[in-house]
Amino acid sequence: MIDRRRVLTGVAAAPLVLAAPAFIRRANAQSVVDVAGVYSMSGTFANVGSGLNDGSKWAIEQYGSAAGNKLNYVLLDDRGDAGEAVRKVQEAMTQRGIKHVIGCTNSAIALAVQKEVYARKGIYINEAGADEITGKDCNKSSFRWPVACYSAVNATVRPLIEKLPKAKRWYTITGQYVFGDSLLSNCKDVFKEKGIEHVGNSYHSLSDREYSGYIATAMAQSPDVLAICNFGNQTVDVVRQAISYGMKRNTKILAVWSTGLDQFQALGPENCEDIYFGANFWHGVDTPGSRRVAEIVKQKTGDVPNYLQACGYAVSQILIEGINKANSTEVPAIIKALEGLSYEGPTGTETIRPEDHQVVKDYYLMLGKAKSKMKDKNDLCDVVAATKAFLPPEKTGCQMAASL
Amino acid sequence: MSAQLLLFQVLNGVGIGMIYFLLSVGLTLIFGLMRFVNFAHGAFYLAAAYIAYAVVLWTGSFWWALLFGPVLVAILALIIERLLLRHTYALPHEAQILITFAVALIIQEAIILIFSPLGHNVPVPSALSGVLFLGPYVYPSYRLAVIGVAALVAVVLWIAIERTKMGSILRAGSESAEMVGLLGINVDRVFMATFALGAALAGLAGVLVAPLRGVEPFMSAEALGIAFVVVVVGGLGTLSGALVGGILIGLVQSIMSTLWPEGAQLMIYAAMALVILIRPTGLMGRI
Repeated sequence: MIDRRRVLTGVAAAPLVLAAPAFIRRANAQSVVDVAGVYSMSGTFANVGSGLNDGSKWAIEQYGSAAGNKLNYVLLDDRGDAGEAVRKVQEAMTQRGIKHVIGCTNSAIALAVQKEVYARKGIYINEAGADEITGKDCNKSSFRWPVACYSAVNATVRPLIEKLPKAKRWYTITGQYVFGDSLLSNCKDVFKEKGIEHVGNSYHSLSDREYSGYIATAMAQSPDVLAICNFGNQTVDVVRQAISYGMKRNTKILAVWSTGLDQFQALGPENCEDIYFGANFWHGVDTPGSRRVAEIVKQKTGDVPNYLQACGYAVSQILIEGINKANSTEVPAIIKALEGLSYEGPTGTETIRPEDHQVVKDYYLMLGKAKSKMKDKNDLCDVVAATKAFLPPEKTGCQMAASL
Repeated sequence: MSAQLLLFQVLNGVGIGMIYFLLSVGLTLIFGLMRFVNFAHGAFYLAAAYIAYAVVLWTGSFWWALLFGPVLVAILALIIERLLLRHTYALPHEAQILITFAVALIIQEAIILIFSPLGHNVPVPSALSGVLFLGPYVYPSYRLAVIGVAALVAVVLWIAIERTKMGSILRAGSESAEMVGLLGINVDRVFMATFALGAALAGLAGVLVAPLRGVEPFMSAEALGIAFVVVVVGGLGTLSGALVGGILIGLVQSIMSTLWPEGAQLMIYAAMALVILIRPTGLMGRI
């Protein structure tokens, strides 16, 4: 039989029981860290953004938590527009209180976002290539995983000049945007230093898909080497069209910056053969960090990781390593933890330079191999050189404040 | 620029122009005969390029792709026309734009889901993988073959539209569908066939361009942009306009890529603006 005292106790306890889920939710909410990934899921570089987004998301999923906090990935689709990226980041930081931002699909977007995140005292790990990111536009909030344009050029153009001592005439085809210009100016510096004759350059716009006119102009100069200084699908298109116009017969072709496996597959083995590529990541380089990336990518796609997935993964990993080392989600603590940190990244042991927040890692010069020499469908290129070519911090132009 | 390079760029420009003609002829045909604005034109081009990729992957033969690409896209267009588009013929152009834009997005997203957002290669058929020597320059045999196909398409279409009974019906239908209907001709079917033909031509362009540029899910936007520039320059709805517009735009792009490389793409639109200013109906458009 239920007595009066038990009924009163039950009634008194009821609100507490009813409120419990809210308390539980709140307790969980306090331990969740939202990580915003800024990627272009539509527009010219959407194929790039999509792969990067996969990598970042999968890394968050694989780690699951950092310093006891559950990680939650929030995608901000910038639609390939730097202005849109800034608006989305502003909204995420002001309305959702997000402080941890990763990702970018191109350098122009990264430059805009890194200013915004810094102004709002957040942390931003990105995969942009332009020198300015860790150069004159560096700031305390921002860290960059891939190498800068300086490194890409010095790790590809320089070894190639040494490999091909008779190739003295170089022509460049350049994307007319921050990243392309940055590659071009670094190429010019190396040409000057090495006594290479730069016989011409053709700029193309961001929206170009037809390059035969530029290729004809390049062919008129009879260059020994054609260096392609652009990004994404445009690299693939220029390489493909240069080959179709017979440039491979007496000109070596170098794509200074490629996204690796996905672009090699897009070109196909018949086009890749004897073409030189620069790449930030190659699945064939076996390291503890690359095995972790390979594990999650295999689980998700059944295939080996490409550059985009690895790069997206790497920026998430850096943030997580920082949170774990700091044992805190507070931005100043993470920044402090990351400066000088060495960790097992996708290319081996990677170190973050405290002076400019650049990750010091290998950049690969690769050479496409003949179809008959491929061991499997992904064995499209060989690593010719792996170089850590970085400007000394004092020459990057980075003047970083001591604190946020 | 040397005379030799100029000559080569002119030849190359004509080649690019013929590719642009192929890209735009279906669009101009549909507009000219049906007064229908088809923003899904680029998506049909995209779908055919991916069909080519899949067929080449499965069969190893580009020639099967050349058959299946346009045919399957024409069937897809027929289905879309029957289910959706026929209900919009009487509506303002804005409604047609919206619905065909939606169709384009659905096709693009479906392709991303099926094939991934990354690009793929479609090899040039081995019989056409060589180059032709033009002095110090070389020209890809495959591009020359594409020019030949485009020229053939132009001739066949001209004969079909100007010299056959079906062509007369199509032209009459574009002037007054009601009058043609009163003569006992099923205008609905005529429009359906026209739409399928326009889509098949976009499909043909998609298949032929795939070995030149590979395939990637966002290739439709550029194709649609170029196709609209060509039909505006040449004159909306005219076959000869698509040909003249395509060649003019190809020439501008090719020559400017030597004279002012960074402005080559810009000059395409500058040429369009100039034509609109001087001749608002396009070079071959009816005033």
